[in-house]
Amino acid sequence: MGSRRGYAVLRRFAALAVVCVFLVSAGVAIDHSVQAAGKTLSLIIDAQADRADEAEIIAAYLREIGVEAEVRIWEWSALRERALEGERQIWLSDWGSAYFDPFDLVIPKLATADRGNYSGYSNPELDELLTLVQMTADQEQRKEAYFNAQRIIYDDAPWIFGYMLKETEAARVEITDWQPSMDSRINLHDVGITRGDTIVVGMRADKILTLDPGAYRDRDTETVIRNIFDGLVTRTWDGEVVPEIAESWTVPSGDVYIFKIREGVKFHNGEPLDADDVVFTFRRILEDGAIAGQSSPRKGLLGPLEKVEKVDQYTVKFTLANPFPIFPQALVHFQIVPKDYIEEVGDLEFAAKPVGAGPFKFKEGRLDDQIVLERFDEYYGGSPEIPPVGAAPARQVIFRMMPEPTVRVAALKAGEVHIIQQVPPDLASALAADRNIQVKNVDGTRVYIVEMNCRKPPFDDVRVRRALNYAVDWDAILTSIYGGNGIRLASAFLPSGFGFDPSLEPYPYDPEQAKALLREAGYSVR
Amino acid sequence: MTRTQVQILERIIAAIPIMLGVVICAFLFMRMIPGDPVDIMMGEAGGVTLEEIESLRAEFDLDKPIHVQLTRYLGRLVRGDMGYSIQRSRPVREIIFEAIPATIELAMFALLFALVVGIPLGIASARHQNSVIDRVGMTASFLGISMPAFWLGIIGIIVFSLRLGWFPTSGRITYGMEPAAVTGLLTLDALIAGDIQALKDALRHLALPTITLGAGVAAIVARVTRSSMLEALKTDYVLFAKAKGVPEFVIVVKHALRNALIPTVTVVGLQVGTLLGGNMIVETIFGWPGLGRVVVDAIFARDYPVVQAAVMIYAMTFVLMNLTTDIIYTYLNPKLTL
Repeated sequence: MGSRRGYAVLRRFAALAVVCVFLVSAGVAIDHSVQAAGKTLSLIIDAQADRADEAEIIAAYLREIGVEAEVRIWEWSALRERALEGERQIWLSDWGSAYFDPFDLVIPKLATADRGNYSGYSNPELDELLTLVQMTADQEQRKEAYFNAQRIIYDDAPWIFGYMLKETEAARVEITDWQPSMDSRINLHDVGITRGDTIVVGMRADKILTLDPGAYRDRDTETVIRNIFDGLVTRTWDGEVVPEIAESWTVPSGDVYIFKIREGVKFHNGEPLDADDVVFTFRRILEDGAIAGQSSPRKGLLGPLEKVEKVDQYTVKFTLANPFPIFPQALVHFQIVPKDYIEEVGDLEFAAKPVGAGPFKFKEGRLDDQIVLERFDEYYGGSPEIPPVGAAPARQVIFRMMPEPTVRVAALKAGEVHIIQQVPPDLASALAADRNIQVKNVDGTRVYIVEMNCRKPPFDDVRVRRALNYAVDWDAILTSIYGGNGIRLASAFLPSGFGFDPSLEPYPYDPEQAKALLREAGYSVR
Repeated sequence: MTRTQVQILERIIAAIPIMLGVVICAFLFMRMIPGDPVDIMMGEAGGVTLEEIESLRAEFDLDKPIHVQLTRYLGRLVRGDMGYSIQRSRPVREIIFEAIPATIELAMFALLFALVVGIPLGIASARHQNSVIDRVGMTASFLGISMPAFWLGIIGIIVFSLRLGWFPTSGRITYGMEPAAVTGLLTLDALIAGDIQALKDALRHLALPTITLGAGVAAIVARVTRSSMLEALKTDYVLFAKAKGVPEFVIVVKHALRNALIPTVTVVGLQVGTLLGGNMIVETIFGWPGLGRVVVDAIFARDYPVVQAAVMIYAMTFVLMNLTTDIIYTYLNPKLTL
């Protein structure tokens, strides 16, 4: 869950305003209402504290159509467990996707009994389509399947479909060639600085988890790691996969990938990088207990990968259990580690003094304080598809953990840091007005939704689920709470992902339609 | 060994079952809260297979019955092994001991600030009861108690870091100025190394967090000192000293203050525990890499081994602080014994 404390003040005012408008309009509405027959739909909307105001507004919209709705605030892990047990009715949640393909979003969230499917939604027709997209390499066929899946999900409405947020980042004007990327990566290899030679980044995170590329699951850790380590492939800021340590790759059949490794790539300790290191990197993740006796938490991200073999010194063959067309997208997130060094010093020492083949080498630091890296002068240059190629312009870079958004903004203005992540929307416009600061937006890759428990009444009835989709005016919520930084979603698909159907329009705000559906389902409405 | 030394030793030995009890409570309570560490580690993103989650749970013994988990944990603990962090893939001991110096340094400075500001303010207010000094002092202490740390800290940053540029916004020391690590307390290490520049830099970084954390304690100290001082100033022995013609300063400091300090010591003793354990907010605001942040984060992540170890350390701190408080009592009032 991203830390979004920065929105708090703005959100509180917005929520108050919207709730007030409702109280007034509700008072007016009662006079004209006709109490229909049927039982009253009574709901408790569960939310985490950082979306409490949003939940209150949703509750107000539902009360408007005659639903009794109240908000209850939870800590996420506690709520998640109860929701998974089928004990909760309706709750606000979110899910991140990293592959620019619905594979890691729609499947875990909506395939029957998959890990993130807290709503208990199940539709065999959808399951079939979702199996197909994982098994075939034919992109046209996959696209069609995804289009069909979107229609089904839209009609079944297992969630109140929500929105995605744009991420706002900011940098001082002395920073050049800087572009926030959709996968939240801060790639400092390409970034220059016109004053001094050290770039300091104010991270949104409280800490990163490790410097071992095999032992984490979160994006903040990855941001730092990917400046020390390179992968076989990388991604442009807008999501296209391009070669990095790999020179090229071929796909002789859907389930075999052959990667040719660039010659002359060196690790920070001077050792050359070859096929042995690549094979070691992936075996370390695939095999149980391979990292200091523990298993890597990253195995699932590799999909159906079964076997990694060395063909010759600079060629590696990946064999998959079934065709997996987004395998290159997955590989972006796997950084190559030095076999000899790790075997010599051990996994724990490697995490303490990491050696990679990336543009910067680790100098010193603490995971919950700051990580200091310095330029690797013998760097092979990085992806030729993302110029400039060569050693990084900055001599030194520092990643500082600054979990408090207001403080990140203050430090940027004071010149203590040069780039900051996650600018709160209420501070973005003031920052943009500062002549010393540049502010940029990029589409996020996380969906924010309201999940409904499809296993039990009232939400086992699709009419009720659809009614709730008609009942909430998301555009008003996005404007008032998120400063217009959100983009509405028609279903569970992100516009940046493969197979997105732009012709599908989100449910409109139509309280009359919502009431009609509820009435049809046997509930009284206002 | 003197009698006092024996008593101190007894108290320390008596603390062992207390700490054991605390650890067991922490162990059980953490497991009663819903939420699973491996699930949380996997996050609300991406694909994971359920088998993968089960095998990770097994690696951390999470699939075993709770009494098996507890016995295994205690067995390792008595051998000095605090376990392995689920979330951070590192030994817990490393994580905790890395974070402790920053927390101790900040707590020490905040305490120093609280005493240096609070006690004189309390004395002055009592000495000039109902005067302008008293009213201003007590209003200030009222503000000190009322202002929440997250507000005071951010206002401090906006005014003193951003507008005036006096202090840095966050961090412990400017990168490149760190003295050679001996104690982990940067100010002390700078003194040991004789590095005045590093000392100055560390103090500049300490200023805002110290005031933010110490303001509330200073306010409490001022109020307690004032009220007990008022009482002490009305006693017969003070009246007698006055009649004898003892100078005012000596009466206040030597006769009244020594007696008036006992309630203050009690309050300070309790506050030190809070300063060490409850400064997560200040640590977050100022990017201060201390134990408070580690613990809160571990609680949210259900990183059981880290939480258990930290709770044990906190319990130890409270036991030691209580003992220290009692020792100071006996010094202030020789009639009391341990």
